[in-house]
Amino acid sequence: MTTVVEVDDLTKRFGKFTAVDDVSLRIEENKIYGLLGRNGAGKTTMMQLLTGQQFATDGTIRVFGQSPVENAAVLGNVCFIKESQAYPDDFKPKHVFASAPWFFQNWDADFADRLIADFRVPVNRRIKKLSRGQLSAVGVIVGLASRAPLTFFDEPYLGLDAVARQIFYDRLLEDFGENPRTVILSTHLIDEVSNLLEHVIVIDDGRIIIDESADELRGSATTVSGTKAAVDAFVGKRAVLHREGIGGLTSVTIENVDAADRRAAVSAGLELGPVSLQQLIVRKTSIPETEFGAQS
Amino acid sequence: MTTLAQALPASRSNEAGRRTLAVVKLHFVNRFQILYLPLIVLGAIFVLNLAIWWIIVESTGGVNSANRSSSHLGYSGAVSYIYVYGIVIAVQAISRTFPFSLGFGVTRRDFYLGSVIAFVGLSLGFAVVLTIMSSIEIATNGWGLGGRMFAPLFFTNSFWLLRFVMYFCAFLFLLFIGTAGATFYVRWRATGLTIFFGIIAIILLGAVAYFTLGHQWPAVGTWFDQSGPVGVTVWLLAPAAVCALAGYFVLRRATPKN
Repeated sequence: MTTVVEVDDLTKRFGKFTAVDDVSLRIEENKIYGLLGRNGAGKTTMMQLLTGQQFATDGTIRVFGQSPVENAAVLGNVCFIKESQAYPDDFKPKHVFASAPWFFQNWDADFADRLIADFRVPVNRRIKKLSRGQLSAVGVIVGLASRAPLTFFDEPYLGLDAVARQIFYDRLLEDFGENPRTVILSTHLIDEVSNLLEHVIVIDDGRIIIDESADELRGSATTVSGTKAAVDAFVGKRAVLHREGIGGLTSVTIENVDAADRRAAVSAGLELGPVSLQQLIVRKTSIPETEFGAQS
Repeated sequence: MTTLAQALPASRSNEAGRRTLAVVKLHFVNRFQILYLPLIVLGAIFVLNLAIWWIIVESTGGVNSANRSSSHLGYSGAVSYIYVYGIVIAVQAISRTFPFSLGFGVTRRDFYLGSVIAFVGLSLGFAVVLTIMSSIEIATNGWGLGGRMFAPLFFTNSFWLLRFVMYFCAFLFLLFIGTAGATFYVRWRATGLTIFFGIIAIILLGAVAYFTLGHQWPAVGTWFDQSGPVGVTVWLLAPAAVCALAGYFVLRRATPKN
Protein backbone atom coordinates (compact mmCIF):
# COMPACT_ATOMS: atom_id res chain seq x y z
CA MET A 1 0.00 0.00 0.00
CA THR A 2 1.24 3.45 -0.87
CA THR A 3 0.22 6.37 1.26
CA VAL A 4 -0.51 9.46 -0.80
CA VAL A 5 -1.62 11.78 2.00
CA GLU A 6 -0.15 11.99 5.47
CA VAL A 7 -1.60 14.46 7.94
CA ASP A 8 -0.20 14.89 11.43
CA ASP A 9 -1.61 17.03 14.25
CA LEU A 10 -3.24 19.37 11.76
CA THR A 11 -5.06 22.40 13.15
CA LYS A 12 -6.68 25.28 11.28
CA ARG A 13 -8.10 28.26 13.12
CA PHE A 14 -9.98 31.19 11.64
CA GLY A 15 -9.66 33.80 14.38
CA LYS A 16 -11.12 32.15 17.45
CA PHE A 17 -12.97 29.49 15.46
CA THR A 18 -11.21 26.15 15.14
CA ALA A 19 -12.28 24.55 11.85
CA VAL A 20 -9.87 21.61 11.99
CA ASP A 21 -8.73 20.47 15.39
CA ASP A 22 -5.60 18.37 15.78
CA VAL A 23 -6.33 15.90 12.99
CA SER A 24 -4.07 13.05 11.94
CA LEU A 25 -4.90 10.74 9.08
CA ARG A 26 -3.54 8.67 6.20
CA ILE A 27 -4.98 8.35 2.72
CA GLU A 28 -3.90 5.34 0.68
CA GLU A 29 -3.44 5.21 -3.06
CA ASN A 30 -6.19 4.06 -5.43
CA LYS A 31 -9.10 3.99 -3.04
CA ILE A 32 -12.34 5.92 -2.90
CA TYR A 33 -12.68 7.77 0.38
CA GLY A 34 -15.79 9.34 1.82
CA LEU A 35 -15.21 12.47 3.88
CA LEU A 36 -18.48 12.75 5.72
CA GLY A 37 -19.85 15.09 8.30
CA ARG A 38 -22.44 17.71 9.01
CA ASN A 39 -22.52 21.21 7.58
CA GLY A 40 -19.67 23.25 9.00
CA ALA A 41 -17.92 20.17 10.36
CA GLY A 42 -14.71 21.10 8.56
CA LYS A 43 -14.90 19.00 5.37
CA THR A 44 -14.24 21.79 2.90
CA THR A 45 -11.51 23.33 5.06
CA MET A 46 -9.87 19.92 5.29
CA MET A 47 -9.90 19.57 1.49
CA GLN A 48 -8.60 23.10 1.02
CA LEU A 49 -5.74 22.36 3.40
CA LEU A 50 -4.84 19.16 1.53
CA THR A 51 -4.79 21.04 -1.79
CA GLY A 52 -2.75 23.99 -0.56
CA GLN A 53 -5.63 26.41 -0.90
CA GLN A 54 -5.63 27.12 2.83
CA PHE A 55 -2.63 27.50 5.09
CA ALA A 56 -2.42 25.29 8.18
CA THR A 57 -2.22 26.96 11.58
CA ASP A 58 -0.34 24.01 13.03
CA GLY A 59 0.72 20.50 12.11
CA THR A 60 2.06 18.95 8.92
CA ILE A 61 0.54 17.84 5.63
CA ARG A 62 2.37 15.61 3.18
CA VAL A 63 0.78 14.93 -0.22
CA PHE A 64 2.85 12.59 -2.40
CA GLY A 65 5.51 13.04 0.26
CA GLN A 66 5.72 16.82 0.05
CA SER A 67 3.93 19.86 1.39
CA PRO A 68 1.18 20.81 -1.07
CA VAL A 69 1.44 24.54 -0.42
CA GLU A 70 2.63 26.31 -3.59
CA ASN A 71 4.13 23.02 -4.76
CA ALA A 72 3.57 22.65 -8.49
CA ALA A 73 4.91 19.08 -8.55
CA VAL A 74 2.22 18.02 -6.06
CA LEU A 75 -0.64 20.21 -7.27
CA GLY A 76 -0.09 19.15 -10.88
CA ASN A 77 -1.44 15.77 -9.81
CA VAL A 78 -4.40 17.13 -7.90
CA CYS A 79 -7.87 18.12 -9.04
CA PHE A 80 -10.25 19.78 -6.57
CA ILE A 81 -13.89 20.22 -7.57
CA LYS A 82 -15.74 22.43 -5.15
CA GLU A 83 -19.46 22.66 -4.76
CA SER A 84 -19.27 26.46 -4.82
CA GLN A 85 -16.66 26.57 -7.58
CA ALA A 86 -16.15 30.07 -8.96
CA TYR A 87 -15.84 30.40 -12.72
CA PRO A 88 -14.43 33.38 -14.60
CA ASP A 89 -17.07 35.90 -15.57
CA ASP A 90 -18.94 35.03 -18.75
CA PHE A 91 -17.25 31.68 -19.10
CA LYS A 92 -19.19 29.00 -20.90
CA PRO A 93 -18.77 25.28 -20.18
CA LYS A 94 -16.88 24.95 -23.48
CA HIS A 95 -14.20 27.31 -22.12
CA VAL A 96 -13.80 25.14 -19.04
CA PHE A 97 -13.47 21.96 -21.10
CA ALA A 98 -11.12 23.64 -23.58
CA SER A 99 -8.72 24.83 -20.87
CA ALA A 100 -8.79 21.78 -18.59
CA PRO A 101 -6.39 19.70 -20.79
CA TRP A 102 -3.71 22.41 -20.39
CA PHE A 103 -3.67 21.70 -16.66
CA PHE A 104 -4.33 17.96 -16.44
CA GLN A 105 -1.84 15.72 -18.18
CA ASN A 106 -4.20 12.74 -18.11
CA TRP A 107 -7.22 14.62 -19.48
CA ASP A 108 -9.36 12.33 -21.65
CA ALA A 109 -11.23 14.43 -24.19
CA ASP A 110 -13.35 11.54 -25.50
CA PHE A 111 -14.43 10.65 -22.00
CA ALA A 112 -15.28 14.32 -21.36
CA ASP A 113 -17.40 14.43 -24.52
CA ARG A 114 -19.28 11.32 -23.47
CA LEU A 115 -19.92 12.80 -20.03
CA ILE A 116 -21.10 16.09 -21.54
CA ALA A 117 -23.65 14.12 -23.54
CA ASP A 118 -24.61 11.96 -20.53
CA PHE A 119 -25.21 14.98 -18.30
CA ARG A 120 -26.70 17.03 -21.15
CA VAL A 121 -24.55 20.06 -20.35
CA PRO A 122 -25.25 23.01 -22.68
CA VAL A 123 -21.64 23.86 -23.54
CA ASN A 124 -22.50 27.13 -25.26
CA ARG A 125 -24.57 28.66 -22.49
CA ARG A 126 -23.03 31.09 -20.05
CA ILE A 127 -22.20 29.43 -16.75
CA LYS A 128 -24.12 32.17 -14.92
CA LYS A 129 -27.26 31.00 -16.70
CA LEU A 130 -26.86 27.30 -15.92
CA SER A 131 -29.14 25.58 -13.44
CA ARG A 132 -27.66 24.44 -10.15
CA GLY A 133 -27.55 20.87 -11.43
CA GLN A 134 -25.90 21.77 -14.74
CA LEU A 135 -23.32 23.79 -12.83
CA SER A 136 -22.54 20.78 -10.66
CA ALA A 137 -22.32 18.61 -13.78
CA VAL A 138 -19.57 20.85 -15.21
CA GLY A 139 -17.49 20.26 -12.08
CA VAL A 140 -18.21 16.54 -12.04
CA ILE A 141 -17.11 16.20 -15.68
CA VAL A 142 -13.84 18.02 -15.00
CA GLY A 143 -13.22 15.89 -11.93
CA LEU A 144 -13.80 12.63 -13.81
CA ALA A 145 -12.14 13.43 -17.16
CA SER A 146 -9.06 15.01 -15.56
CA ARG A 147 -8.06 11.60 -14.14
CA ALA A 148 -5.84 13.37 -11.63
CA PRO A 149 -4.03 10.86 -9.41
CA LEU A 150 -5.63 12.60 -6.42
CA THR A 151 -9.14 13.93 -7.05
CA PHE A 152 -11.27 15.80 -4.53
CA PHE A 153 -15.01 16.18 -4.97
CA ASP A 154 -16.57 18.53 -2.43
CA GLU A 155 -20.35 18.00 -2.43
CA PRO A 156 -20.15 17.50 -6.19
CA TYR A 157 -23.79 16.95 -6.93
CA LEU A 158 -25.85 19.67 -5.34
CA GLY A 159 -28.87 20.07 -7.56
CA LEU A 160 -28.14 17.01 -9.68
CA ASP A 161 -31.24 14.91 -10.22
CA ALA A 162 -31.38 11.22 -9.31
CA VAL A 163 -30.59 10.13 -12.88
CA ALA A 164 -27.56 12.39 -13.10
CA ARG A 165 -26.32 11.26 -9.69
CA GLN A 166 -26.57 7.64 -10.78
CA ILE A 167 -24.63 8.50 -13.96
CA PHE A 168 -21.95 10.05 -11.77
CA TYR A 169 -21.68 6.96 -9.55
CA ASP A 170 -21.65 4.61 -12.55
CA ARG A 171 -19.07 6.55 -14.54
CA LEU A 172 -16.87 7.03 -11.50
CA LEU A 173 -16.84 3.30 -10.75
CA GLU A 174 -16.34 2.28 -14.39
CA ASP A 175 -13.50 4.71 -14.93
CA PHE A 176 -11.99 3.97 -11.53
CA GLY A 177 -11.77 0.30 -12.57
CA GLU A 178 -9.80 1.15 -15.71
CA ASN A 179 -7.80 4.07 -14.33
CA PRO A 180 -7.32 3.57 -10.60
CA ARG A 181 -6.69 6.73 -8.65
CA THR A 182 -7.36 8.20 -5.26
CA VAL A 183 -10.72 9.88 -4.89
CA ILE A 184 -11.90 11.81 -1.86
CA LEU A 185 -15.58 12.59 -1.89
CA SER A 186 -17.48 14.69 0.61
CA THR A 187 -21.22 14.35 0.69
CA HIS A 188 -24.42 14.45 2.67
CA LEU A 189 -25.99 11.62 0.67
CA ILE A 190 -24.28 8.93 2.66
CA ASP A 191 -26.49 5.97 1.79
CA GLU A 192 -26.37 6.76 -1.92
CA VAL A 193 -22.60 6.60 -2.01
CA SER A 194 -22.09 3.95 0.62
CA ASN A 195 -21.52 1.23 -2.00
CA LEU A 196 -18.95 3.44 -3.70
CA LEU A 197 -16.82 4.11 -0.67
CA GLU A 198 -14.02 1.88 0.43
CA HIS A 199 -13.07 3.95 3.40
CA VAL A 200 -15.02 6.37 5.52
CA ILE A 201 -13.69 9.36 7.42
CA VAL A 202 -16.23 11.20 9.52
CA ILE A 203 -15.37 14.65 10.73
CA ASP A 204 -17.38 16.47 13.36
CA ASP A 205 -16.56 19.81 14.89
CA GLY A 206 -13.15 19.73 13.24
CA ARG A 207 -12.21 16.37 14.74
CA ILE A 208 -12.10 12.96 13.11
CA ILE A 209 -14.50 10.68 14.92
CA ILE A 210 -14.51 7.75 12.48
CA ASP A 211 -11.67 6.58 10.24
CA GLU A 212 -12.47 3.04 9.16
CA SER A 213 -12.93 0.87 6.12
CA ALA A 214 -16.53 1.00 4.96
CA ASP A 215 -17.03 -2.74 5.36
CA GLU A 216 -15.79 -2.80 8.93
CA LEU A 217 -17.85 0.22 9.74
CA ARG A 218 -21.03 -1.34 8.36
CA GLY A 219 -20.44 -4.44 10.47
CA SER A 220 -19.46 -2.50 13.55
CA ALA A 221 -22.94 -1.77 14.80
CA THR A 222 -26.15 -3.73 15.03
CA THR A 223 -29.68 -2.93 15.99
CA VAL A 224 -31.16 -5.16 18.63
CA SER A 225 -34.92 -5.16 19.04
CA GLY A 226 -37.34 -6.93 21.30
CA THR A 227 -39.20 -6.41 24.53
CA LYS A 228 -37.80 -3.69 26.71
CA ALA A 229 -36.81 -6.08 29.49
CA ALA A 230 -35.02 -8.51 27.16
CA VAL A 231 -33.18 -5.70 25.35
CA ASP A 232 -32.08 -4.10 28.62
CA ALA A 233 -30.83 -7.44 29.89
CA PHE A 234 -28.81 -7.98 26.71
CA VAL A 235 -27.40 -4.45 26.57
CA GLY A 236 -26.21 -4.52 30.17
CA LYS A 237 -23.38 -2.03 30.50
CA ARG A 238 -22.70 -1.59 26.80
CA ALA A 239 -22.71 1.90 25.32
CA VAL A 240 -25.91 2.51 23.40
CA LEU A 241 -25.60 4.65 20.29
CA HIS A 242 -29.30 5.06 19.85
CA ARG A 243 -32.51 3.93 21.48
CA GLU A 244 -36.07 4.10 20.34
CA GLY A 245 -39.19 2.40 21.59
CA ILE A 246 -42.88 2.03 21.06
CA GLY A 247 -44.92 0.71 23.96
CA GLY A 248 -43.18 -2.29 25.44
CA LEU A 249 -40.87 -2.76 22.46
CA THR A 250 -37.43 -1.26 22.27
CA SER A 251 -34.77 -1.07 19.59
CA VAL A 252 -31.20 -0.07 20.36
CA THR A 253 -28.12 0.41 18.23
CA ILE A 254 -24.95 -0.92 19.80
CA GLU A 255 -21.42 -1.49 18.64
CA ASN A 256 -19.13 -4.51 18.61
CA VAL A 257 -21.62 -7.34 18.63
CA ASP A 258 -19.58 -10.51 18.13
CA ALA A 259 -20.72 -14.00 17.14
CA ALA A 260 -21.23 -15.14 20.74
CA ASP A 261 -23.30 -12.04 21.44
CA ARG A 262 -25.40 -12.78 18.40
CA ARG A 263 -26.18 -16.29 19.55
CA ALA A 264 -27.04 -15.02 23.00
CA ALA A 265 -29.32 -12.36 21.56
CA VAL A 266 -31.12 -14.77 19.28
CA SER A 267 -31.65 -17.27 22.07
CA ALA A 268 -33.04 -14.43 24.22
CA GLY A 269 -35.68 -13.89 21.52
CA LEU A 270 -34.19 -10.65 20.26
CA GLU A 271 -34.07 -9.59 16.64
CA LEU A 272 -30.80 -8.40 15.12
CA GLY A 273 -30.61 -6.06 12.16
CA PRO A 274 -27.98 -4.17 10.15
CA VAL A 275 -27.44 -0.45 10.52
CA SER A 276 -27.07 1.63 7.40
CA LEU A 277 -23.96 3.74 7.06
CA GLN A 278 -26.06 6.87 7.18
CA GLN A 279 -27.88 5.86 10.36
CA LEU A 280 -24.63 4.85 11.97
CA ILE A 281 -23.02 8.19 11.20
CA VAL A 282 -26.06 10.16 12.28
CA ARG A 283 -26.06 8.25 15.57
CA LYS A 284 -22.36 8.79 16.09
CA THR A 285 -22.30 12.48 15.25
CA SER A 286 -25.33 13.45 17.29
CA ILE A 287 -24.39 11.98 20.64
CA PRO A 288 -22.68 14.13 23.26
CA GLU A 289 -18.91 14.25 23.17
CA THR A 290 -18.43 12.45 26.50
CA GLU A 291 -20.14 9.35 25.18
CA PHE A 292 -17.92 8.89 22.17
CA GLY A 293 -14.76 9.86 23.95
CA ALA A 294 -13.67 6.25 23.65
CA GLN A 295 -13.69 6.28 19.85
CA SER A 296 -12.26 9.66 19.07
CA MET B 1 4.39 0.49 2.30
CA THR B 2 6.54 2.23 -0.27
CA THR B 3 8.20 5.51 0.41
CA LEU B 4 6.16 8.59 -0.27
CA ALA B 5 8.61 10.28 -2.59
CA GLN B 6 8.25 7.48 -5.12
CA ALA B 7 4.52 8.00 -5.22
CA LEU B 8 4.90 11.34 -6.95
CA PRO B 9 4.68 10.88 -10.71
CA ALA B 10 7.76 12.19 -12.45
CA SER B 11 7.33 15.81 -13.43
CA ARG B 12 8.45 17.11 -16.78
CA SER B 13 11.54 19.26 -16.97
CA ASN B 14 9.78 22.25 -18.50
CA GLU B 15 6.89 21.90 -16.07
CA ALA B 16 7.05 25.45 -14.68
CA GLY B 17 7.02 27.05 -18.13
CA ARG B 18 4.17 24.82 -19.26
CA ARG B 19 2.01 25.72 -16.25
CA THR B 20 2.64 29.44 -16.63
CA LEU B 21 1.80 29.25 -20.32
CA ALA B 22 -1.40 27.37 -19.46
CA VAL B 23 -2.47 30.27 -17.23
CA VAL B 24 -1.70 32.75 -20.03
CA LYS B 25 -3.88 30.72 -22.38
CA LEU B 26 -6.59 30.45 -19.74
CA HIS B 27 -6.89 34.24 -19.63
CA PHE B 28 -7.47 34.27 -23.37
CA VAL B 29 -9.70 31.21 -23.71
CA ASN B 30 -12.82 33.37 -23.68
CA ARG B 31 -11.61 35.49 -26.59
CA PHE B 32 -14.87 37.29 -27.08
CA GLN B 33 -14.81 38.76 -23.59
CA ILE B 34 -11.19 39.85 -23.48
CA LEU B 35 -10.44 40.75 -27.14
CA TYR B 36 -13.45 41.07 -29.40
CA LEU B 37 -15.90 42.80 -27.09
CA PRO B 38 -13.64 45.78 -26.23
CA LEU B 39 -12.72 46.17 -29.91
CA ILE B 40 -16.36 45.97 -31.00
CA VAL B 41 -17.35 48.63 -28.47
CA LEU B 42 -14.38 50.79 -29.47
CA GLY B 43 -15.38 50.38 -33.13
CA ALA B 44 -18.97 51.37 -32.33
CA ILE B 45 -17.79 54.45 -30.44
CA PHE B 46 -15.59 55.32 -33.43
CA VAL B 47 -18.46 55.00 -35.91
CA LEU B 48 -20.67 57.21 -33.75
CA ASN B 49 -17.88 59.76 -33.50
CA LEU B 50 -17.47 59.70 -37.29
CA ALA B 51 -21.19 60.35 -37.69
CA ILE B 52 -21.09 63.27 -35.25
CA TRP B 53 -18.04 64.79 -36.96
CA TRP B 54 -19.73 64.43 -40.33
CA ILE B 55 -22.90 66.17 -39.07
CA ILE B 56 -20.85 69.02 -37.59
CA VAL B 57 -18.68 69.42 -40.67
CA GLU B 58 -21.67 69.37 -43.03
CA SER B 59 -23.62 71.87 -40.95
CA THR B 60 -20.68 74.26 -40.72
CA GLY B 61 -19.92 74.52 -44.39
CA GLY B 62 -18.42 71.19 -45.46
CA VAL B 63 -14.95 69.74 -45.53
CA ASN B 64 -13.60 72.38 -47.89
CA SER B 65 -14.79 75.27 -45.81
CA ALA B 66 -12.02 77.74 -45.07
CA ASN B 67 -12.31 77.66 -41.30
CA ARG B 68 -12.29 73.86 -40.98
CA SER B 69 -8.60 73.26 -40.43
CA SER B 70 -8.21 76.03 -37.90
CA SER B 71 -11.13 74.99 -35.71
CA HIS B 72 -10.75 71.29 -36.04
CA LEU B 73 -12.86 69.09 -33.80
CA GLY B 74 -11.36 68.72 -30.33
CA TYR B 75 -10.13 65.59 -28.68
CA SER B 76 -13.21 63.84 -27.31
CA GLY B 77 -11.63 61.37 -24.91
CA ALA B 78 -13.84 58.66 -26.38
CA VAL B 79 -10.91 56.26 -26.52
CA SER B 80 -10.64 56.27 -22.73
CA TYR B 81 -13.34 53.57 -22.76
CA ILE B 82 -10.76 50.96 -23.64
CA TYR B 83 -8.51 52.04 -20.77
CA VAL B 84 -11.35 51.65 -18.29
CA TYR B 85 -12.15 48.28 -19.82
CA GLY B 86 -8.50 47.37 -19.26
CA ILE B 87 -8.92 47.89 -15.51
CA VAL B 88 -12.12 45.82 -15.56
CA ILE B 89 -10.34 42.98 -17.38
CA ALA B 90 -7.54 42.94 -14.81
CA VAL B 91 -9.92 43.03 -11.83
CA GLN B 92 -12.07 40.20 -13.19
CA ALA B 93 -9.13 38.13 -14.33
CA ILE B 94 -7.64 38.18 -10.85
CA SER B 95 -10.75 37.97 -8.70
CA ARG B 96 -12.59 35.28 -10.69
CA THR B 97 -9.87 33.32 -12.48
CA PHE B 98 -7.72 32.96 -9.36
CA PRO B 99 -10.06 30.70 -7.35
CA PHE B 100 -10.89 28.82 -10.56
CA SER B 101 -7.22 28.16 -11.34
CA LEU B 102 -6.48 26.86 -7.85
CA GLY B 103 -9.04 24.10 -8.42
CA PHE B 104 -7.06 23.15 -11.52
CA GLY B 105 -4.00 22.60 -9.35
CA VAL B 106 -2.21 25.84 -10.23
CA THR B 107 0.12 27.44 -7.69
CA ARG B 108 -0.34 31.09 -6.78
CA ARG B 109 3.11 31.79 -8.17
CA ASP B 110 2.36 30.26 -11.59
CA PHE B 111 -1.03 31.94 -11.66
CA TYR B 112 0.44 35.37 -10.99
CA LEU B 113 3.31 34.98 -13.42
CA GLY B 114 0.93 33.80 -16.14
CA SER B 115 -1.43 36.69 -15.42
CA VAL B 116 1.37 39.26 -15.63
CA ILE B 117 2.47 37.84 -18.99
CA ALA B 118 -1.15 37.85 -20.21
CA PHE B 119 -1.60 41.50 -19.18
CA VAL B 120 1.65 42.60 -20.81
CA GLY B 121 0.51 40.81 -23.98
CA LEU B 122 -2.89 42.42 -23.79
CA SER B 123 -1.31 45.87 -23.35
CA LEU B 124 0.85 45.22 -26.39
CA GLY B 125 -2.15 44.19 -28.46
CA PHE B 126 -4.28 47.18 -27.50
CA ALA B 127 -1.31 49.52 -27.99
CA VAL B 128 -0.79 48.15 -31.50
CA VAL B 129 -4.46 48.70 -32.38
CA LEU B 130 -4.42 52.27 -31.05
CA THR B 131 -1.12 53.01 -32.82
CA ILE B 132 -2.50 51.82 -36.16
CA MET B 133 -5.74 53.77 -35.73
CA SER B 134 -3.99 56.96 -34.63
CA SER B 135 -1.53 56.70 -37.52
CA ILE B 136 -4.42 56.49 -39.97
CA GLU B 137 -6.17 59.31 -38.15
CA ILE B 138 -3.13 61.58 -38.47
CA ALA B 139 -2.39 60.55 -42.08
CA THR B 140 -5.96 61.23 -43.20
CA ASN B 141 -6.12 64.49 -41.28
CA GLY B 142 -8.78 63.22 -38.89
CA TRP B 143 -10.55 60.73 -41.19
CA GLY B 144 -11.06 63.50 -43.72
CA LEU B 145 -13.27 65.31 -41.23
CA GLY B 146 -10.72 66.86 -38.88
CA GLY B 147 -11.90 64.62 -36.05
CA ARG B 148 -9.66 63.27 -33.33
CA MET B 149 -10.23 60.18 -31.27
CA PHE B 150 -7.16 57.93 -31.21
CA ALA B 151 -4.19 60.30 -31.35
CA PRO B 152 -3.46 61.32 -27.77
CA LEU B 153 -3.94 64.81 -26.44
CA PHE B 154 -0.96 67.17 -26.93
CA PHE B 155 0.38 64.77 -29.42
CA THR B 156 -0.69 64.65 -33.03
CA ASN B 157 2.17 64.78 -35.48
CA SER B 158 4.91 62.74 -33.99
CA PHE B 159 6.61 59.49 -34.67
CA TRP B 160 4.35 56.42 -34.39
CA LEU B 161 6.76 54.58 -32.11
CA LEU B 162 6.45 57.29 -29.45
CA ARG B 163 2.69 56.97 -29.58
CA PHE B 164 2.99 53.21 -29.28
CA VAL B 165 5.18 53.58 -26.18
CA MET B 166 2.64 55.93 -24.61
CA TYR B 167 -0.29 53.61 -25.21
CA PHE B 168 1.66 50.60 -24.00
CA CYS B 169 2.81 52.26 -20.78
CA ALA B 170 -0.65 53.65 -20.05
CA PHE B 171 -2.23 50.19 -20.44
CA LEU B 172 0.41 48.56 -18.25
CA PHE B 173 -0.17 51.17 -15.56
CA LEU B 174 -3.95 50.72 -15.54
CA LEU B 175 -3.88 46.92 -15.78
CA PHE B 176 -1.50 46.62 -12.86
CA ILE B 177 -3.42 49.14 -10.73
CA GLY B 178 -6.42 46.89 -11.37
CA THR B 179 -4.35 43.79 -10.61
CA ALA B 180 -3.08 45.14 -7.29
CA GLY B 181 -6.56 46.25 -6.23
CA ALA B 182 -8.00 42.85 -7.14
CA THR B 183 -5.36 40.97 -5.13
CA PHE B 184 -6.27 43.06 -2.07
CA TYR B 185 -9.89 42.11 -2.69
CA VAL B 186 -9.12 38.41 -3.16
CA ARG B 187 -7.08 38.34 0.05
CA TRP B 188 -9.14 40.54 2.38
CA ARG B 189 -12.43 41.13 0.51
CA ALA B 190 -14.08 44.55 0.97
CA THR B 191 -11.77 45.46 3.85
CA GLY B 192 -8.85 44.88 1.52
CA LEU B 193 -10.26 47.22 -1.13
CA THR B 194 -10.75 49.93 1.49
CA ILE B 195 -7.16 49.48 2.61
CA PHE B 196 -5.96 49.55 -1.01
CA PHE B 197 -7.68 52.84 -1.78
CA GLY B 198 -6.56 54.14 1.61
CA ILE B 199 -2.94 53.40 0.72
CA ILE B 200 -3.30 55.20 -2.63
CA ALA B 201 -4.93 58.19 -0.94
CA ILE B 202 -2.12 58.36 1.65
CA ILE B 203 0.56 58.18 -1.07
CA LEU B 204 -1.10 60.95 -3.11
CA LEU B 205 -1.70 63.08 -0.03
CA GLY B 206 1.89 62.54 1.09
CA ALA B 207 3.16 63.69 -2.29
CA VAL B 208 0.94 66.78 -2.19
CA ALA B 209 2.14 67.58 1.34
CA TYR B 210 5.77 67.10 0.32
CA PHE B 211 5.55 69.37 -2.72
CA THR B 212 3.39 71.99 -1.02
CA LEU B 213 5.25 72.28 2.29
CA GLY B 214 8.61 72.20 0.54
CA HIS B 215 7.42 74.75 -2.05
CA GLN B 216 8.39 72.27 -4.73
CA TRP B 217 5.49 72.74 -7.15
CA PRO B 218 7.51 74.78 -9.67
CA ALA B 219 9.99 71.92 -9.82
CA VAL B 220 7.12 69.52 -10.51
CA GLY B 221 5.96 71.74 -13.36
CA THR B 222 9.46 71.86 -14.76
CA TRP B 223 9.69 68.08 -14.55
CA PHE B 224 6.46 67.62 -16.52
CA ASP B 225 7.73 70.17 -19.03
CA GLN B 226 11.08 68.52 -19.47
CA SER B 227 9.80 64.96 -19.55
CA GLY B 228 7.14 65.69 -22.13
CA PRO B 229 4.06 63.49 -22.68
CA VAL B 230 6.12 60.43 -23.59
CA GLY B 231 8.47 60.81 -20.64
CA VAL B 232 5.60 61.23 -18.20
CA THR B 233 3.86 58.13 -19.54
CA VAL B 234 7.03 56.09 -19.38
CA TRP B 235 7.37 57.12 -15.75
CA LEU B 236 4.00 55.38 -15.16
CA LEU B 237 5.96 52.13 -15.45
CA ALA B 238 7.40 52.78 -11.97
CA PRO B 239 4.04 52.71 -10.12
CA ALA B 240 2.97 49.87 -12.46
CA ALA B 241 5.97 47.80 -11.35
CA VAL B 242 5.30 48.61 -7.69
CA CYS B 243 1.68 47.48 -8.13
CA ALA B 244 2.74 44.29 -9.91
CA LEU B 245 5.18 43.44 -7.14
CA ALA B 246 2.74 44.31 -4.34
CA GLY B 247 0.07 42.20 -6.03
CA TYR B 248 2.40 39.22 -6.03
CA PHE B 249 3.10 39.36 -2.31
CA VAL B 250 -0.55 39.95 -1.46
CA LEU B 251 -1.71 37.02 -3.60
CA ARG B 252 0.96 34.63 -2.33
CA ARG B 253 -1.01 34.21 0.94
CA ALA B 254 -4.51 34.63 -0.47
CA THR B 255 -7.08 31.88 -0.09
CA PRO B 256 -10.19 31.34 -2.23
CA LYS B 257 -13.39 32.27 -0.42
CA ASN B 258 -16.95 31.37 -1.17
